[in-house]
Amino acid sequence: MMTSQKILKKAKFSDFIKLLSDDYEVYVPVKKGNHRYLKKYAGNVDEIVIGEVRPVEPLKAFFSRAREVVAHGFKNDVPRPDNKPYAIIGVKACDLKGFKIQDFVFANSDEQDPFYARNRAENLIVSADCTCAIDTCFCLALGIQPFPEENFDINLSQIEDGFVVQAGSDKGRALVEKNPSLFENASDGQVRARDQQRSRVRGLVETNIKEHEVPHQDRFKDIIKNSESALWEEESRTCVECGACNTICPTCHCFLLYDQKVGESTQRFRIWDSCMIKDFARVAGGGNPRPKLWMRLRNRFEKKFDYFPRVSGVYACTGCGRCISACPAEIDIRKVLKKLVDNK
Amino acid sequence: MNNPYRPIETEVLEVIPETPTIKTLRLKPKEEISFKAGQFIELSIPGVGEGPFTPSSRSSVKEELHVSIMKVGKVTERVHQLKEGDIVGLRGPFGNGYPLDEFKGKDVLVVGGGCGFAPLRSLMYSFFEMSGELKSLYFRGGCRTSKEMVFKDETAEWAKRKDLNLRLTVDKGDETWKGHVGLVTTILDDVKIHYPEGIAIVCGPPIMMKFATLKLLEMGFQDKNIYLSMEKNMSCGIGKCGHCRLDVYYACKHGPVFRYDKIKHLKEIWD
Repeated sequence: MMTSQKILKKAKFSDFIKLLSDDYEVYVPVKKGNHRYLKKYAGNVDEIVIGEVRPVEPLKAFFSRAREVVAHGFKNDVPRPDNKPYAIIGVKACDLKGFKIQDFVFANSDEQDPFYARNRAENLIVSADCTCAIDTCFCLALGIQPFPEENFDINLSQIEDGFVVQAGSDKGRALVEKNPSLFENASDGQVRARDQQRSRVRGLVETNIKEHEVPHQDRFKDIIKNSESALWEEESRTCVECGACNTICPTCHCFLLYDQKVGESTQRFRIWDSCMIKDFARVAGGGNPRPKLWMRLRNRFEKKFDYFPRVSGVYACTGCGRCISACPAEIDIRKVLKKLVDNK
Repeated sequence: MNNPYRPIETEVLEVIPETPTIKTLRLKPKEEISFKAGQFIELSIPGVGEGPFTPSSRSSVKEELHVSIMKVGKVTERVHQLKEGDIVGLRGPFGNGYPLDEFKGKDVLVVGGGCGFAPLRSLMYSFFEMSGELKSLYFRGGCRTSKEMVFKDETAEWAKRKDLNLRLTVDKGDETWKGHVGLVTTILDDVKIHYPEGIAIVCGPPIMMKFATLKLLEMGFQDKNIYLSMEKNMSCGIGKCGHCRLDVYYACKHGPVFRYDKIKHLKEIWD
């Protein structure tokens, strides 16, 4: 493929972002202190940090919003927010793996979710290789490389004088082909520089995994089925049921529908929900299959490491490490996985 | 594109009080909703909320559907305040109904408890329409007290049918109750069928379903011939919101009617 060996020179980067902002609401990665987060692009390209690692917020927020209107009264349509589609820049491989789960739930089943399907069709993903690893990164344990291999439109691999460009979809290929002034052919040296950087970052993640003794997913089979309740009681001891692990997770997809009066009319919203909250599975009659916190923690792991591999062939964890950073109770998914594997 | 979360505008034609805690709504959706016995719908009070209910009416009647609803929470509290002419929302139907064709030529025992009578009434109507196609049909129903017994006039009519053997019981007797007193599991022994071949259908509160199932197994029913209606927190109805997951199943999609052999090894089924 011709377009797989292009380069976007540093000097052309701002033209590229501006071009995208004609058709998209562009979100770009920036860094403040030790935090990487996404910011709505408003003309300043200097603050954009393409490489690095995943931002604080998960990619799923651009595909099923944390809160969105899904119905206006009885009106038979699919409500549409008035923003342009999103172009999300600098998306990392761990977030892209989230699509394997989100697509399975919302797009690939017999009943598609029209909101998700629309966003999936219209949004643009400009992904990027990780150029470093932070302490909580463990993607390799879940079989993911620290650079995108699928589920992107265009991937940027940052090297010294710009970005090696790879198109990953028809949409991405069209963008590269229609804008020849932005892209030049990449030299062998530039491609080599990309590959060297990729193996360097792999090394960093490998070191992380060794240091934290994170087991590889090849050893995850039946870890939940054979787990003892004592382990879950111990692990859930400090949990405060805030649901941060759910909201921050690229694969968590559960939501709550709720209705509200807005003036004279009514609206149906959906918001992200958390299976760690006591009422999650409770029925109106009072029955609750998971009244205890440790049952809900076990259920969370069961969904990720037993349910999803059984129904979709994929573990619903991407090794992004966000839940480790977000948890006020310091529940560490790597340690839980290690215990589960060791106890099997 | 179809919006699976959009409710269909529905008029309340009549509100029928059944017991102090159960009311039946006669509903007329503005777009046709065609359901099979055992499937459920999501009923919403505009601007208040939504909940899963299984219709209690004849599935062959397309113009209206009935739901019989017990007052237990926020939405059902408001359901009980509804009056004729009010507007509510409906979505569905969702899930799988009872596999009626598989019951043809067989002995069928239907066991109901309390508000579980509602979905079973719809099923009984379907069975009556198949009259002659079943080898035999038994209904065993129990409620806590006579006051809480639903569809009393109707079950009195059913008792006269030649194609049905019906018995009812209450857990606690009083002067208004002339029939049997005791749990529903105490009126199953006179069901004269060859149990290993028979079909049993159970619907009711979880505790009742648990003990009825254990009793049926003890009697000789096979686990693959016992059909349970699982009460889970169904919300979206299309296997996405995550609330009603039961191992690899979503009650809203793969249920709410489950064959016992498919779920007996799972934790959480009676909770």
